Amino acid sequence: MKSLDGMKPLLMILPGLALAMFIIGYPIYDLGFTSLQEVSRFGKLLGFVGFDNFREVFSDPLFWASLNRTVIWTVTVVLSTLIISLPIALILNDDFYGRGLARVIIMLPWAVSLTMTAVVWRWALNGRAGLLNATLMNMGLIDEPIEWLAEAQLAFTVEILVGILVSIPFTTTIFLGGLSSLPRDSYEASMVDGATRWDQFRHITLPLMKPFINIAIVLNVIYVFNSLPIIWVMTEGGPANGTDILVTYLYKLAFRFGQLGEAAAISLIMFGFLLLFTIIYVALVMRGERQTDTIEEDE
Amino acid sequence: MTPNKKTTLAVSTLALLAWSGAALAETTVDFTVAEYSSKTGPYFEEVAAAFEAENPDIDINIEVVPWDTLLQRLTTDIAGGAAPDISIIGTRWLLDFAEQGIAEPVDDYLTPEFKDTFIDTFMAPSVIDGQIMGLPVAASARAMLINKDLYAEAGATPPTTWDELYEASKKISEETDAFGFGLQGKEIETDAYFYYSLWTHGGDILKEDGTSGLDTPAALEALTLYKKMLDEGLTQPSPTNYSREDLFNLFKQGQVGAVFTFPMLIPQIQAEAPDLNYEVMEFPVATTKATYGVTDTLMMFADSDVKEEAWKFIEFAYKDEWRTKFDRGEGFLPVTKGVAAEDYYTTDKDIAGFAAGLPHAKFAPTIANWEEIADVTVRAVQKVYLDQATPESALTEAAEQINSIRGK
Repeated sequence: MKSLDGMKPLLMILPGLALAMFIIGYPIYDLGFTSLQEVSRFGKLLGFVGFDNFREVFSDPLFWASLNRTVIWTVTVVLSTLIISLPIALILNDDFYGRGLARVIIMLPWAVSLTMTAVVWRWALNGRAGLLNATLMNMGLIDEPIEWLAEAQLAFTVEILVGILVSIPFTTTIFLGGLSSLPRDSYEASMVDGATRWDQFRHITLPLMKPFINIAIVLNVIYVFNSLPIIWVMTEGGPANGTDILVTYLYKLAFRFGQLGEAAAISLIMFGFLLLFTIIYVALVMRGERQTDTIEEDE
Repeated sequence: MTPNKKTTLAVSTLALLAWSGAALAETTVDFTVAEYSSKTGPYFEEVAAAFEAENPDIDINIEVVPWDTLLQRLTTDIAGGAAPDISIIGTRWLLDFAEQGIAEPVDDYLTPEFKDTFIDTFMAPSVIDGQIMGLPVAASARAMLINKDLYAEAGATPPTTWDELYEASKKISEETDAFGFGLQGKEIETDAYFYYSLWTHGGDILKEDGTSGLDTPAALEALTLYKKMLDEGLTQPSPTNYSREDLFNLFKQGQVGAVFTFPMLIPQIQAEAPDLNYEVMEFPVATTKATYGVTDTLMMFADSDVKEEAWKFIEFAYKDEWRTKFDRGEGFLPVTKGVAAEDYYTTDKDIAGFAAGLPHAKFAPTIANWEEIADVTVRAVQKVYLDQATPESALTEAAEQINSIRGK
């Protein structure tokens, strides 16, 4: 009887698990299968070619450059978003006059689709007709219009900034949820002990917020790593492939050049990357938690 | 009870109609139409209705698909075994369709008289390995537009050669607030903007032996000239931030003296900048007269079961009365001799300006992996505009990459 009781929860999640495995698993199986085939541009499989698609991808300098840029893109966007979102969430968590309005303003970019945001920025950043240059010139900050998207380095920087902007609402929401669940009595107790606000932040807020920060990191990394619209709309990965990240390069390969086999290989590589990151990260977090638990028990 | 009776009557009438409809129209021809403008769908419905009136046993089923999703749509239809019987496609895709055995050669259907209605130049791109794989359905050629007011203000003469364009652009950039020449540097057809210069300098995209023509002296000269004009401030700065549409906007705003463009810009100018004083001219020449001809193809699917009926409709739709309506409505150049001979195409100075280049029109080669080759070219051109490479090294590198894509 005991062992059956142990099996029960597993049995109960089995249907859900099977469905999830099917929904996630089938596309991955299909991708894996396609990536080992020669594929015509009309999606017809022309025969097994082993790892040729992967070999071609790995020998392509544009793939490595895109991979490199993907890492920069993901790390800078996610880190900056976290660093900016935490103070915003702290401020919005305090009770002040007009907090509702402030929250709405912060959340507003979230309500607009990514593609639309990117289109608006593309217009605003236009060299001769763009709003940003017009504003800067009216304010006397610049004399000549700046061509924001003409050169890869500046364009990529601008795209990262837009990426941060659109990631803030989601991250702030996670943090706000976390902050509202923190126990008030810890703060009251620390105040009795004479803790400053910085002490409170350092020793109460931050440690208690850890699970929320972790989930924000994992989810943001996945979203940002796979995010196509901003870069695609603003520069299409150009000029001279200078702003291509893996997902934009993949899109070009698949839907412009019709190389579905190579595109499938890159998709699989990207999936592997994210899976590996998530596993390592979650393992690190869990080990960290276990260690703190033991320390606390020792005390 | 009355409403019920009415309904019953209506339903039975409908059923009867449907039944009789089915009995009369024994065969259905599925026709996928690319949407050029909001006029495209209604136009083809009208042709189909007129055809069905004459041939009550054939039903033409028109489906209008936007250009952006057309290839993807046909791909899925073909993969799913639900391909149409005939479709409008971009001629640049024709080779892929032909190689995969999806396109039906039309030589056997094409009577000599029908074949003779087409202008030969536009027939050429549809010929693959000696077989005609489709019919030209729409055509446009490119030309140069100059802003006559800017030219007058700077005291420059409208150019016919690259030297003259260079001098005129210099004058305009110095004498007026505008830039002499608009240079496209990003997104769709950035490579075409370079081919304009390449062709008129006597070069070509591919050499006789099928290898890339980018490592030739003509290509080097063509790109060096663009770079020189950019460096000397004769073009707008930072071309890599200007797509085709951005460039057209500059021209509409009177900020550039000359651009290279297609006929569809004319209605835009008339609507958005009616005061703009422009003139359509042929591309400036260095050694060779040339323009870029672009065609779309009407293709028949090899898997179709109703080829005879489909062909009957095609012959009907190519009658002069219908072609005139289509070409004028969409702003295209005529692909048939009958329409080309009409007064409109010789007297309207804008259309005549674009049509003038047709005898020496060049086409994008029908070769495999064309999009990828175009992308390599765009990258080379952008590197030069961005000072990341010299014209010579960028072109040599691009030629090597193109040759390796082509397996040469």
